[in-house]
Amino acid sequence: MLRTLLMALTVAMVVAAGALFARRVAAIVGVMRTARPTLRTDRVGERIQSVVEHVLLHRRMFRITLSGVLHYFIFSGFVVLLIDIVETVGEVFVPGFTVGRILAPLVDIWVILVAIGILLALYNRLIIRPARFQGSDEKDAFLILGLIGAIIVGIVIHDSFFPFVAREVLHVPDPVAHAHFLGWGLSRLWVALGWTGPGAASVGYAFGYLLDMGVVLAFLAYLPYSKHLHIFAAVPNIFIRNLGPKGALLAKPVEESMAIRTFQDLSWKDISDLYTCTECGRCQAVCPAHAAGQPLSPKMVILELRDALNERIARGTAFSAEEPPLAGGVISKEELWACTTCGACQEACPVFIEHVPKIAGMRAALLEEGDIDPNAQKVLVAWDRQGNSFGQPARKRPVWAKNIDVPIKDARKEPVDWLWFVGDFAALDPRVQRLTQLIARLLHHAGVDFGILYESEANAGNEALRIGEYGLFEALALKNIEALNKAQYRRIFTTDPHSLNALKNEYRKFGFEAEVLHYTEAFLELIDQGQLSVSSVPVRATYHDPCYLGRWNGIVEAPRQLMQRLGVDLVEMPRHGAQSFCCGAGGGRIWMDETGITDRPANQRIREAMRLSNVHFFVVACPKDVSMFNASVTAMGVEEEMRVVDMAELLAVAVGLESAEETLLVSS
Amino acid sequence: MKIAVLMKDVPDLVEELEVEDGALPLDDMSFVPSEWDDQALEEALLMKEEADVEVTAVAIDTGDVDNMLFTALAKGADRAVKLVGDFSRTLPNRLRARLFAQYCQAQAIDVVLTGVQAIDDLDGQIAGLVAGLTGRAHASVVRDVHIEGSQVTCVQEYSGGKMAEMQLAVPAVLGIQAARKPPRYVTIAKVRQIQKSATLEEVEAEAGTAPLVTVRRIYKPEAAGHAEMWGDDVDAVAESIVRLLEDKKLLRS
Repeated sequence: MLRTLLMALTVAMVVAAGALFARRVAAIVGVMRTARPTLRTDRVGERIQSVVEHVLLHRRMFRITLSGVLHYFIFSGFVVLLIDIVETVGEVFVPGFTVGRILAPLVDIWVILVAIGILLALYNRLIIRPARFQGSDEKDAFLILGLIGAIIVGIVIHDSFFPFVAREVLHVPDPVAHAHFLGWGLSRLWVALGWTGPGAASVGYAFGYLLDMGVVLAFLAYLPYSKHLHIFAAVPNIFIRNLGPKGALLAKPVEESMAIRTFQDLSWKDISDLYTCTECGRCQAVCPAHAAGQPLSPKMVILELRDALNERIARGTAFSAEEPPLAGGVISKEELWACTTCGACQEACPVFIEHVPKIAGMRAALLEEGDIDPNAQKVLVAWDRQGNSFGQPARKRPVWAKNIDVPIKDARKEPVDWLWFVGDFAALDPRVQRLTQLIARLLHHAGVDFGILYESEANAGNEALRIGEYGLFEALALKNIEALNKAQYRRIFTTDPHSLNALKNEYRKFGFEAEVLHYTEAFLELIDQGQLSVSSVPVRATYHDPCYLGRWNGIVEAPRQLMQRLGVDLVEMPRHGAQSFCCGAGGGRIWMDETGITDRPANQRIREAMRLSNVHFFVVACPKDVSMFNASVTAMGVEEEMRVVDMAELLAVAVGLESAEETLLVSS
Repeated sequence: MKIAVLMKDVPDLVEELEVEDGALPLDDMSFVPSEWDDQALEEALLMKEEADVEVTAVAIDTGDVDNMLFTALAKGADRAVKLVGDFSRTLPNRLRARLFAQYCQAQAIDVVLTGVQAIDDLDGQIAGLVAGLTGRAHASVVRDVHIEGSQVTCVQEYSGGKMAEMQLAVPAVLGIQAARKPPRYVTIAKVRQIQKSATLEEVEAEAGTAPLVTVRRIYKPEAAGHAEMWGDDVDAVAESIVRLLEDKKLLRS
């Protein structure tokens, strides 16, 4: 009678929950099938390795210790829960079934760990209350924690009544009664109360069974409607993550348009991203635009898209062109234009959601409607007409190279060993030109055979692409590739991380695959090969990783080793390497209106450096950083306390081209 | 209602003007759409958003105007017309105006918009000349153009911040000072797409004759005086400033 009832209820619940689950998943998969294609099933070995690293080992999760630990307890509990489900269903459907004395106590151990996980999660959400949860569905989080709590309570209850049910009702042995030590402990209470007869034990067992299995199946039905779909979606989403090259915004040339207007314009991985988001807000916590007080949160971009898609699926209008556009409708244009494309969000995301390509695609949709910041529009026109963001005639580009005392070869006319791709800011910004000339003198000093493309070099197009102007990016890229193909050189180096990213990652889709180095890598090599001898520059300094060098291209060691060779005492800021904090200039932001910014990212970064003990040098390795951070220290009035120094200046002092007193303002 | 926007391209002043043998080396210069014509086009496109009008961009084939016309189409113009014939980059405005006037008459254009001026206007502005040749109502240095029935209204600004709202009977010619909004951006991809899918209408045209001006020579002005450099010694510069203010009797004791 008890068995029949529980079996009937179980089958009914499985069918109902399975149907609800399948219906929902089918709707989501239906959207994914009409979305844009993207290749994410190649390199299976690497993909499995990344799943192991980020699911089993929780690598990114543990960056926040408390969350990592509590999540690991609960996550591993789900794996162990399978033992319980097999055991519980087995006991009812197959009289005498048991998982054995080894597996059974694991369930009890994990019940304790999950309970600790739940308590830590409550502590995190109720007491610590990290700001990153702002905007997340906290009710859902508590509901889920409650359901998980109900399941573990159910497990202990049915385990505690099972010895009596086995003996009095099912007439089977229960060899694991003691092994379920929590249930055994609780069963002592039933003995004391006298609830061990067939009636009481049956009621108690059925209650525990339904609390466990009922909630498990309710969970299954509810999951795809909540953020906890990540329990199923995270593993495949990590499996289909972008394996690189990381810095390439688009893997292939665009045929028609990169604009994202409807859900069909997203890729199937983008759709998967929406349903994998756990609302943890780690992206929001590291977003420079969010920190600056702008309306952008990468988390909210994902959630707004997901909620809109859910509403449209419910209305049957997921693919309808009648619905408001994603860009400027679902996601406001203020959110989209606030992004610096620094990629901190993607780097922080434990489930490998890709925020930046979605934002760039929606920007492209705005741009196609002519919606663009007026200053940024001028820059787009200048790139188109003059090939640089300064609106200077193309022939002004190499002017910096004409009035210095070292000869600079024209790589278009004679072969060179190293071809230097200079970039707009290094070539044309009066504040940076001096550093550019310094690098030329350093190369000359090291006896490097180098040259530049003179006026044939144009802006690399990295920012044009990130503003959403693919056609302009392509035109600039093809112009540069043509000039590069005509030149003779062994390798390329650049002073500009943004150019580096374009040359190294974005030009591949047009068949350009030359080796590209950053100048910090190049000079490290020169020192290590003995071509450049350096003396010590004993200053205490911190180093700012440019987003397009450290995060997007993983070049974090070369600048640090270079500083080490120069004898610099490097003190790291809390956020460094791939976790560096953006200066606020990327993605075209440097040319856009600053309305709404209450605290500039560059100022926040300078304050971060100023909290370090006895550090007065802020070393940069990106021309845009030179202007951004110099502007910040001037605006903040802290030039005396924190001096922005380019790596080239440290090198110049180290090789004796400039004096430390003049360049670094330190007494020798 | 039919609107025509008369457009031309002019040397890009980003480049410094070089003078060679008393003339500008036009063949070596890069050309961009005249910025006021761009404003006129934008105003016409804004008018299209609020009334049932057909916007045609018109340019004379004096070199490479195709890209300018395709850009106008990509921005939202309904038609783009190139007036073809044997015309050079130095085509004077008097002749340009005759070509435009013939076209506007033949096509029964209701409202003609064009930039109030261009940087290379040597013999008058296009709007006034076209209005005179076609005998149409005309206002120049105007903005904020709206169609009201068979009338157009626009605003002219006077010194001291005074404004005049004006009304003209159609057909009319307007010289646009500025559009209501900055000219819109159009992506390179969209222009390229239009280049593939649309064609420019070519209309044969003949300029005839008109009284002309000739440029005798172009030259750099001779410097009347030179700036005096005070150097970078702060104290010396400060003293020089004080002395200058005293000399000019700008200091009161």
